[in-house]
Amino acid sequence: MHISIKGEFRKDTFGQVGLILLIAITTIALLGPIVAPREPNHQTRWAFTSPSTFHILGTNHVGQDNWSRLVYGARTSLLVGFLVACVATLISAVVGSSCALRGGLYERIMMRFVDGFLIIPAIIVLILVSAYTKPRLYLLIVFISLFSWAGGARIVRAQALSLKDRAHIWAARSFGGSSWYVMRRHILPDLGPILVVEFIHSFRRAIFMEAGLAFLGICDPTRVSWGTMMRNAIEYSYMNVWMWWLVPAGLALSITILSLAFIGHTLEPFMEPRLREHVDA
Amino acid sequence: MRSIIRRNLPTYFVALLIILCLNFTLPRMMPGDPLMAIYGEEALVAMTPELRTFLLRSFALDKPMWEQFVAYLYQMSRGNLGFSYYHNAPTLEVILGRLPWTILLIGSALILSTTFGVFLGIESGWRRGKPLDRSLLSGFMALTGFPDFFLGMVFLLVFGVSLALFPLSGSVTPYSGLSGLPLLFDMLRHLMLPVSSLTLTVLREPYILSARAKGLPERVICYRHAGRNSLLPVVTRTGIWLARIITGTLFIEVIFSYPGLGTLTYQALLARDYAVLQGILLVVATVVLLANFSLDLLYARIDPRVRHAH
Repeated sequence: MHISIKGEFRKDTFGQVGLILLIAITTIALLGPIVAPREPNHQTRWAFTSPSTFHILGTNHVGQDNWSRLVYGARTSLLVGFLVACVATLISAVVGSSCALRGGLYERIMMRFVDGFLIIPAIIVLILVSAYTKPRLYLLIVFISLFSWAGGARIVRAQALSLKDRAHIWAARSFGGSSWYVMRRHILPDLGPILVVEFIHSFRRAIFMEAGLAFLGICDPTRVSWGTMMRNAIEYSYMNVWMWWLVPAGLALSITILSLAFIGHTLEPFMEPRLREHVDA
Repeated sequence: MRSIIRRNLPTYFVALLIILCLNFTLPRMMPGDPLMAIYGEEALVAMTPELRTFLLRSFALDKPMWEQFVAYLYQMSRGNLGFSYYHNAPTLEVILGRLPWTILLIGSALILSTTFGVFLGIESGWRRGKPLDRSLLSGFMALTGFPDFFLGMVFLLVFGVSLALFPLSGSVTPYSGLSGLPLLFDMLRHLMLPVSSLTLTVLREPYILSARAKGLPERVICYRHAGRNSLLPVVTRTGIWLARIITGTLFIEVIFSYPGLGTLTYQALLARDYAVLQGILLVVATVVLLANFSLDLLYARIDPRVRHAH
């Protein structure tokens, strides 16, 4: 594949904007306590205050500093997005490439499962599972991961199928390389670029899912989430507090998702056009 | 035509099986006595002894697991999805009561977004690389970035709260005693905000797909030939697109308190009405699978290659 990541970004303004935004948000999230003046859960006596030099985005219904909560919300979103993307990409890589290499009955059964998972409305399943288990953050990450690998597995399989018959793989096989060896040395490295794109897409979908579930009230109560902020803020839509409470949280979420969408779009040429079949959450 | 159906039927079967197994095992993995695990503490307190014995018997909850599973499948196939303690009615009845509103919402959004999406897509594809194409494309790119529920809330705050153009919640004005044409207008007024937010969030898919359609010739034949060709990918992808629409509908309904399945899901979540949550999952999954199946049939009809393949 003669496409370089740098080259793609140099050509594409969207990609550059996305990258800059993502780096900015990640920096703010990493700095955390340095840019956030207060503990996100620290309550003051002043609820619903307007922006001031003391609270730059005002305070919420229990007197917590909105800006600090926004910063800590970024930590939750990025953490969930990153970990889900890792797990989901790993599962799609393993399932996709093993399907392509093994073939036969194994492949047929696995692909039915992949398609089955694609059709099932993930959000409702997540709501049901969370209603029973009341998950903490890490369990929630596992649940979201379980419902975001299927689309990737399809794409990985298609790519691995086309790789399988190339000359160097035949050569490795005829020298007695085992399936595992071929997969590790030749297939997985060539899948790299596609896995990067899948990683970005799962990252984006996971952030959306986490915020959406938190908006419905499914969240780790010890964590600050943008979804929870919006959920609390919409209750007071008749006051003007939404301007510095709901809108910043919504915009922060949108900008994060948007930056990932831009990056994903820029890297799209990695997916050969025939394979371009990504699935939106 | 047979081949596409034969290829996809196992998938639908597997999907249904995953849902059924999930619904069956999830509560039974929870600690405590089976009835309490399935229905939750609140429900158990509200239950009459008769209902308790009825549920225990019909779902064979005092028998071994495999007998329970057989009983479970049997009851599901009869449409007995359990009992909602919160609504004090059979689950299926509660769900079917809300279903028409969701169908109305999704149906209108589907028609609107497909019409606009395909129209804009064809116009855009016809002018590939021209300013209109580029600005439409970047507009849609930006639109996808906004999560459905944030877009819905912005609509609510701008058109509902600030401008007060449309009602904020519900599907009809309560206790207004309207009927006939005024009732219809009232319903449309309430439908306005949810439907437009939902349409916007799902518009991108048909747009992108038809803009990408190949070979757009002279304008006159553009709509007759290319239109049909570009509709093909739209139809094939609607199945997967549906998952996105369902997610969108759920959030939009919750935001606008529209009395469909989305709001029912949310209420059931808050009330821990597990029977309803399970029922919704099963009903929605069944509807999605049926929709996919009919799309297969439709696809076979409009694509001559598939029609004549066998």
